[in-house]
Amino acid sequence: MRAHDVDARRYVWARGNALWLMGPPISQWMEDLEGAAAEGQSGLVRHVARQIGETCAAMAVLAEKREKPMPGIRCRAAWALARTEGSDVHEECLALVRGAAEDEPDEEIVDRCRRLVAVLQERVGTVPNVLSADGYYPGMALVRDWLELLTAVGEPSILPSEWTKGAEDA
Amino acid sequence: MSDTDVPARLDELQSRIRRYHQVELEAVMEVISYLREDGDRVIFGGSLTLGLGNARSDLDVLLIGPPGVDGSRLPLEHWIDGLRVDVWKLTERLVDGVFLQVERALASEGPIDGAFGDVGEQADLKLLHRIVSGIQVEGEPLELSTRLGAAELARDLVSREYGERMRDSAYLAQVGAATGHDLAAAVYARGAVEEAAHAALAGMGVPFTGDKWLRERLRDFPEMEASYAPFAVLPEGPGTSAEFVAAALATCREWTGADLAAPLLAARATWRLGDLRLMPIGDESLLLSVELGALWSLEPAEAAAWQRFGEAGAWPCEECDAEQDSLAFALHVAGVAKLDWSQGLDLERSRLEEAVSA
Repeated sequence: MRAHDVDARRYVWARGNALWLMGPPISQWMEDLEGAAAEGQSGLVRHVARQIGETCAAMAVLAEKREKPMPGIRCRAAWALARTEGSDVHEECLALVRGAAEDEPDEEIVDRCRRLVAVLQERVGTVPNVLSADGYYPGMALVRDWLELLTAVGEPSILPSEWTKGAEDA
Repeated sequence: MSDTDVPARLDELQSRIRRYHQVELEAVMEVISYLREDGDRVIFGGSLTLGLGNARSDLDVLLIGPPGVDGSRLPLEHWIDGLRVDVWKLTERLVDGVFLQVERALASEGPIDGAFGDVGEQADLKLLHRIVSGIQVEGEPLELSTRLGAAELARDLVSREYGERMRDSAYLAQVGAATGHDLAAAVYARGAVEEAAHAALAGMGVPFTGDKWLRERLRDFPEMEASYAPFAVLPEGPGTSAEFVAAALATCREWTGADLAAPLLAARATWRLGDLRLMPIGDESLLLSVELGALWSLEPAEAAAWQRFGEAGAWPCEECDAEQDSLAFALHVAGVAKLDWSQGLDLERSRLEEAVSA
C-alpha cells in the first residue's frame, strides 16, 4: 500500500484538473499543431504553441505543487510561470508563452511542443482523447470514475460546463 | 453571406474534405440521416467552410428542426474514415431563443460578461456564427422573431463581447505594469490587441472562427497584420512591460476607437474579493478564503492596504491606492480577485468601420 502524502481533497482536485482540464485540450492542441504545420498555417502553429506552453506550465504546477486555487485562463500563464521557476520545464514553457519568432520553422516549434507535452504526460498521466474515434467511450467511462471520486471528497465537477450546460433547454 | 455563394462554397468544402480524407459530402449526409426530421435544416459550419481548417479539422453540422424534436446542446460525434463530424441537433425554438437573448443583451447597458461564451468556451458565439456563416444545404431559411437580422446580431455580439474583453485586458495590463507584474501585464496587453482585432474584424463582417484562427485571418488584412506583428512575441526581462502595454493600447484605439486609459476605465470597475477575510494571528496577517480552501500570508504593508478597505469584499478601482492595486492584482493572478464592470462597452459600428478603414 502507498499513501498519497497530501490531503485527499487537494490531491483529487489537483490531479483531476491536471488530467481532465488540461489533458484533453493538450491532445486537441497537438492535433491542431500538426494539422497546421502540414498545411503551412504558421499563425495557427504559433497560437497553439502558446496554448501548449501555458497549459503545460499549469499542469506542472498542479502535479508538483498542487496549488489551489487556479486562476482563469487569461492569467493562468503568469500564475503558472511564476510557480515553475527553477523547474526543468520552466524555460521551455516560458519561451512558448512569449511566442515563437517568425523565422523559426514550424516543424521545430512542433518538435519543441511534442517534447514538452511528453515530459508532462509522463508525470501527470494521460486520459483517452474523447475527440478521437477510439478514445470517446473509454474517456467517458474514465471520467465517470473521476466524477465519483470528486463527489466523494466534496469537490465540484471538473467537466467543462459546456458538456453539461443547457441539456434541458435543447 | 449570400445564398448565391452556396454552390461555390460547397464545391470548395467538398474539394477540401476529399483531399484530406477522401470523403464525399453525400457520405456525410448518409451518416447523419438517422438524426434527420421532416422539414429540418442542414447547415455545414466551422473552419473548413470558411477557407480555413486543415486535415485535422472537424466538420460541424447543424440540424435545426421544427418544435417537438429532441435536441441537445452537446454535439454528437461521428467519424467517417479520418473525418470527425460533430452534429448539433437543435430546435428552431432554441435557436430563436438564443438570438432573442443576444438582442436583449445588446440592447442592455450592462456588460455581456461572457454570457454567450467565455474565453474557455465559445459555445453560443460559435453557434450563432455557424448559423449565419455556415453553408445551408437543405431546408427553408431560418425565421427569427428578433427585430434585427441574424447576421447583424451575430456580428454585433462578437464586437461587443471582444470589446469588453479588450477593456478588461487593457485595464489589467496597465495595473500589472504599474505594480511590477511584467509577464502578466504583457500577456494581458497582447490579449487586448488580439481581442481588439476580433472586435474590429467582426465589425467589418468577417465571420467569427474563434481565437485560434486570428493570425490566419489577419493575412487577408495586411495593414492589420503588420500592426499586430510587434505584439506576437512578448518582451523579456523586468521593467519591459510598460512600453509594450502603451503600444498595445494605441493599437487597440487605432482599431476600435476606444480610449482605454486606466483612470477612465477605473471609474467603471470594481475588484470583487469573494469571501476573503483577514485573520490576524499573533504577529502574522493571514488572508483566508474558506470557499476556495486557500490561505495567504500578507506582508505588513499589504495587511495595512487590506485594512484601509475593511472587510468590504469589493474595492472600487478608482478608490484604490498603489498598494491596494498591487495587492488586488496579485490576488487576481492568484485566481481570487475578479474585475467587475458596471457597464458594457458598446463599440459603435461606425467608429469600428472608420478606425479599421483608416
